[in-house]
Amino acid sequence: MSGVSTAAYFARRAAQKERVRILYRRALKDTLNWAVHRHIFYRDASDLREKFNANQDVEDVDRIDKLIGHGEAEYNKWRHPDPYIVPWAPGGSKFCRNPTPPAGIEIVYNYGQEDNP
Amino acid sequence: MALRTAVLRHLRVPVTGSNQSQIGFLGSIRAFSSHDDHLSKQEVVDRVLDVVKCFPKVDPAKVTPDVHFQKDLGLDSLDTVEIVMAIEEEFKLEIPDKEADKIDSCPLAIEYVFNHPMSS
Repeated sequence: MSGVSTAAYFARRAAQKERVRILYRRALKDTLNWAVHRHIFYRDASDLREKFNANQDVEDVDRIDKLIGHGEAEYNKWRHPDPYIVPWAPGGSKFCRNPTPPAGIEIVYNYGQEDNP
Repeated sequence: MALRTAVLRHLRVPVTGSNQSQIGFLGSIRAFSSHDDHLSKQEVVDRVLDVVKCFPKVDPAKVTPDVHFQKDLGLDSLDTVEIVMAIEEEFKLEIPDKEADKIDSCPLAIEYVFNHPMSS
């Protein structure tokens, strides 16, 4: 029984739309992880887009929740074990690697002259 | 709209004034660092517009630096997601999901990329 268009209904729909967008984003990144070569990636990306477009006109809120749940379960099933992460991002190889030194530190270059200044 | 941009401004690194950025810049230059190229605003604008124009569902004649993806270009929310991913790949960025969800239009995207310290 969700025929009344109250603020709660719209809030729920907006939350669902955000979930769908985030799910699509993650699924697309995962597709890029699996299909590295672009021509294969484009094919898989269009298949993914078709899957999302097939359900875009559903109006029943509960059914939308179920579909999003199915989509997230399938995304979790297909997650790549070694995803590409940009190096400086958390999880990447350069993360926290060369932090900028704190300001005000000076290095005095007096090699070997510590004993006789 | 103004409230939204004001709120969004709090979530990102703001661009400081010219004096401050000079001193800060000098303090953060490191020799042999692989991250010493900060993009100019015009370059960011040009590259973002190129990315949007190359999108197959977009009419290149309508793309300007202050265009809204859904209102002006008639795109879907999923198309917005695709454009944001293309911008991420262009500038070698990693945008968190919550931030990427908020990028809805060209000026927002340009501002985010320009203010991001690691865009290249």
